[in-house]
Amino acid sequence: MKEDTAVIIPVFNEEKIVLKVIRSVKKYFNVVICVDDGSSDRSSEVILHSKATLVKHPINLGAGAATQTGIDFALQNKQIKYFVTIDADDQHNIEDALRMLKSLRDNKLDIVFGSRFIGSVESISKFKKLFLKTAAIFSARTSGIYLSDPHIGLRVFNRNFAENLNLTLPDFSHASEIIHRVADGKFKYAEVPVHVSYSDYSKSKGQPMLNSVNITTDLFFHRISKK
Amino acid sequence: MILIQIILILAFIVFLFRFLSNPSSYQIRAWTKILAVLFVILAVITVLFPNSTNAVAHWLGISRGADLLLYFLTLVVIFFIFNSYIQEKRLQKKIVILARKIAIMEANHKKIK
Repeated sequence: MKEDTAVIIPVFNEEKIVLKVIRSVKKYFNVVICVDDGSSDRSSEVILHSKATLVKHPINLGAGAATQTGIDFALQNKQIKYFVTIDADDQHNIEDALRMLKSLRDNKLDIVFGSRFIGSVESISKFKKLFLKTAAIFSARTSGIYLSDPHIGLRVFNRNFAENLNLTLPDFSHASEIIHRVADGKFKYAEVPVHVSYSDYSKSKGQPMLNSVNITTDLFFHRISKK
Repeated sequence: MILIQIILILAFIVFLFRFLSNPSSYQIRAWTKILAVLFVILAVITVLFPNSTNAVAHWLGISRGADLLLYFLTLVVIFFIFNSYIQEKRLQKKIVILARKIAIMEANHKKIK
């Protein structure tokens, strides 16, 4: 049981599956923080009666905001040295996070990203795959850091990175924001192969591809308005 | 290049810079008021002397006063859209910070209990 690692699970309308994810994470980690991003279903009740800590946004703010809230909450606990983010829809395996954590420690890295493309991925649609690969090229162009799978939800990072992260883009643009932070702060990073399986459940959820238009414009204006 | 083309292009550049330079909220409010006052003054003048728009239009290199009004209104609309976009983004940031504070406070409160 790891006491020095906080697992952060941003949750939005996942009442059916979140308990399964919490249970699998709880097998290895004691500090599990579920950030309910103003779900309209019973997600927060499910979390409240589980062994995870519930942090509940009063209104829906977006996945990036939920991740940052979880990090802020975990940072209050001075014992926490490592942070794990994982999706609430059961597409990741927590065992992969253990290997990523080991890699982070052994190689003295600041952040380790999971990658389904150097790892393996089950029942992904061709269109989604093409979409994610295109996003990877775009991300590499704008940040200068090449990751094979920048939009993965499974990441492990140390306290130093967590303290400097400060995500400001509320929605799914946060994946790119994290990479820009890595580039700006010259943090040491690596990718570790992980397994992602899209169940029928997670396929039915997922973010709409059209949202990539929002992400791209958000990032664009965010970058130029800072300069 | 005729005068109106120079004015319009300069205005678009000013908007773009305002949009990207992220001005502080007192600057936005002040400029909104200044432009609102100018707008009313010009509106009153054009109501009192409808033909004055034609004269100004000719001077700027436009054939009709109605066209001048159209260009002018386009600029006003763009200005207000940009302004409200900036304000909305700023408000959104504040709401995120506020909601996060509430969420963390609530969670801490529960932990102590």
